[in-house]
Amino acid sequence: MFFGTIIYALFNTAILAITALGFNLTFGISGIANFSYGAMYILAAYVSWMLVHLLGLPFWLSVFVSIAITMVLGALIYRFVLLRVRGQVLSEVIATFGIGLGTLELFQYLGFVGFEYTLPVFIDDSFMIGDTVVDWQRLLITIVAGMLVAGLWVFTHHTRLGLAFRGIAQDESTALTLGIDSDLMGMLSVSMGCGLAALASLLIIPLGSISPSEGYDVLIKALAVCIIGGLGSTGGLIVASFIVGFAERFTDAYVGSQWTMIVSLAAILIVLVVKPSGLFGRQKELAERI
Amino acid sequence: MRKGSFRFSLIVMVMAVCLLCAGRARAADPIVIGAPTSLGLIEGKEALKAVEMAVDEINAKGGVNVGGQKRPLQVSSSDIRDGAPGVPVPEALLGIEKIILEKKPVALLIGPFRSEALIAGMDLLSKYKTPLIGSIAMSPASEKKVTEEPDKYKYVFRDCLNGVYLVKYLSGTMDALHKEFGFTKVYVMHQDVAWARGTADLVKKLYFDKAGWEVVEQEAYPTGASDFSSGLMKARSKGAQVIMPIFDMPQGGVLVKQWKSMRVPAIMAGFISPLAGTDAWKTFDGKIGGAINCNFELGSAIASDKVPQSVAFYNKYKEKFGHEVEAGHGPAAAYESVFILAEAIERAGSLDPDAVTAQLKKTDRMGTMGRIRFDEGNQVVYGLDPKETAVGAVFQWTEDGKRRIIFPESLAEGKVLLPAGLKSQK
Repeated sequence: MFFGTIIYALFNTAILAITALGFNLTFGISGIANFSYGAMYILAAYVSWMLVHLLGLPFWLSVFVSIAITMVLGALIYRFVLLRVRGQVLSEVIATFGIGLGTLELFQYLGFVGFEYTLPVFIDDSFMIGDTVVDWQRLLITIVAGMLVAGLWVFTHHTRLGLAFRGIAQDESTALTLGIDSDLMGMLSVSMGCGLAALASLLIIPLGSISPSEGYDVLIKALAVCIIGGLGSTGGLIVASFIVGFAERFTDAYVGSQWTMIVSLAAILIVLVVKPSGLFGRQKELAERI
Repeated sequence: MRKGSFRFSLIVMVMAVCLLCAGRARAADPIVIGAPTSLGLIEGKEALKAVEMAVDEINAKGGVNVGGQKRPLQVSSSDIRDGAPGVPVPEALLGIEKIILEKKPVALLIGPFRSEALIAGMDLLSKYKTPLIGSIAMSPASEKKVTEEPDKYKYVFRDCLNGVYLVKYLSGTMDALHKEFGFTKVYVMHQDVAWARGTADLVKKLYFDKAGWEVVEQEAYPTGASDFSSGLMKARSKGAQVIMPIFDMPQGGVLVKQWKSMRVPAIMAGFISPLAGTDAWKTFDGKIGGAINCNFELGSAIASDKVPQSVAFYNKYKEKFGHEVEAGHGPAAAYESVFILAEAIERAGSLDPDAVTAQLKKTDRMGTMGRIRFDEGNQVVYGLDPKETAVGAVFQWTEDGKRRIIFPESLAEGKVLLPAGLKSQK
C-alpha cells in the first residue's frame, strides 16, 4: 500500500506538473495570469472528442488538430482581448476568467455533459511493479512531463525565440530597445500556454472523462502549483508539484478522498501567509506583478 | 321592423358562432405539465424524452378526459441544473417557482435531482398547491415529511426507487454474493452527496453489520472526482472481496475502468449510473466486464421479458429516438408518471390540485416497472415481484459485452460470474 501510494504520488506529481506548465510559462514570460487556462484544457478535449466522434478522424490526428486550434484560440484571445488591457492586472484576470467561464458554461449549456465524453488512452496496457499495477498511460504522462520540462529549458536557453521570451520576462522595456516585439512575444506566450494546456488535457483526460466542471479544478490545481512554487518559476513548479502531488495521494490513501481538494487550497493559503512570493519566487517580483 | 329583426338575428348568429368557437378553443386548451429537472445530465434528458413520448401517446388517443372533455397534454420543461456540481439549492428552487408561476402547470413531473433541492422545494409545492411526481431525487426524508404533515406535503409523490429500496436491492445483491461465494469483506466507495452517503450508511447498518460482513473501509468522493487509484489500492491491500460503489456522476464509470486496468481482485457490485445502458460497453472500451450494476427501475436502460410493458417501453423509446435508453434511473419512472397523472385527472374529473392529489394516492396500475401503488408517504412500493410491486433490476456485464439480470430472482436470467483473479470462498 505504502509503496503503491509512492508510485501513484509520483504519477500525480507528473500530472500536476504537466497541468501547470502552460499557465506557468505564460505568466513567466508575459506576466499574464491566464484564468481561461482550465477552459482551454477542457476545450481541447471536447474538440478532440468531436473530431473523433463527429468527423471520424483518428485520435492521434485529432490530438494535433485540437492542440493547433487551442493555440490559435490563445493567440486570438491575446490579440483581440488581452492586448487592450495589457498591463492592467485586474482587467487581465477578469477578462481571461470571463472567457473561461463563458467557454465552460457554453459546453454545459450545449449539453456536453455525460459519461460518453471520454477519450481513448494512447497505450491500453498495464504492468506490475511489486504488487502495484501501473498503467502505461500514467507512465507516458510522466515521461512527457519530464521531456517537456527539459525541452522548455533547452528552448528558452538555446533558441532565438526562447531567448527573446526570457528577455521579455526579465525586462520588457530593455527587450523592446533590442528589437524584441513584446506584443508578439506576449501573444506567443499565451498561445503556447494554451497549447500546453491542450497537450496536458489530451494526455490526462483519457484516464477520466471530459466534463466542464473539470475546467475549474484544473485552474485551481495549476494556480496551487504555481503559487506554491513561485509564479513563473519552473524549478518552483517542479518542487510544488512534488509537494502537492505527494500530499494529495497520501491524504487520499490515509486520511480520506473528500479532503484531497482541500490539500491544494490549504497549501496555497499557507504559502501565501508564510512566503507570499512562493517557495522559489522573489517577493519584489511578486509585489510588482500582483 | 323586418329589417331590424333581420339585423338582430344576424347579430345573434354571429355571437353564437363566436361563442361556439370560443367553446371549442377552450375544449382544445392543453393541460400543461411542468418538467423542471437537470436537463444537462443523461437521467434528466432521457426522463424528459420519456415524458414527451408518453404525452404523444396519450394525445394520439385524443388526450385526457377531464369531466367529459378530452384535452391534450403539453409539456413545459426547464433546466434547473441542480444535478451539476456547485449549483446551489436556492437556484434550483427559483427554477421550480418560475415554471409554476409562468406556465401554471397542473402538476410537475421528473423534478429535482438532488434530494436537498426536493426537500427544500416541498414548501414551495405546498404553497402553490402543485402536485409533483418525482422520478429522480431519492432521499426518504421527503416521505417522512409527507407522513408527518400530510395536509401540507400531500402534493409530493415519487414513483422512482427511493434510498430505502435501493438499500434493499443492494443488500439483496450482497446477500446473494455471500450465499453463493461466501464473501464477507467489502470496500464501500460512494459519492459525497446526501442520497449516496445515506444509502451507504444504511446498507452498512441494516445489512453488513447484521450479516457479519467486515466493511474494510467506507470512502466518500466529491462530485467530479475521477481518480480512484488510491481507493482501489486500499481495496486490494485490505483484501476486500467486494467493492460496492454508489455514484450517479458521469465520472463514476471511470472507477470501473480503473478497477479493471488495476486488476483489483474484487467484484464490483453496486450502482454507477454510467454503467446502466448498452453504450457503456463502447464508452469504457469494453473494460467493464464482470461489473454488477443496479438499475433503479425496470425499463430504465434494461427490460425483462417477464414484464412485457418494460420491453414495450424500451422498444418504443428506441424506435422514437433512434437509440436505446441509457439512464438506469429516471426514464421508466418518468414515462409512467404521465400515465399515473392522466389517470388521476380522469378519475378526479377536474384539474383541482386537491382532487388530483387524492386520486394520485389511489393509483394502482401495471406499468413498465411492474405494479405501481403509492404508500402512505406517497412513495411507489418497490419489491421483488413485478406482479405485486414495482421492481428494479440488478444485472452483470458479461465479458463479451452483454447484460444479464441476476437479481431479483423473479427476473434473473443467470447466476453471477466472478471476474478473473477472484475465487469463491466456498
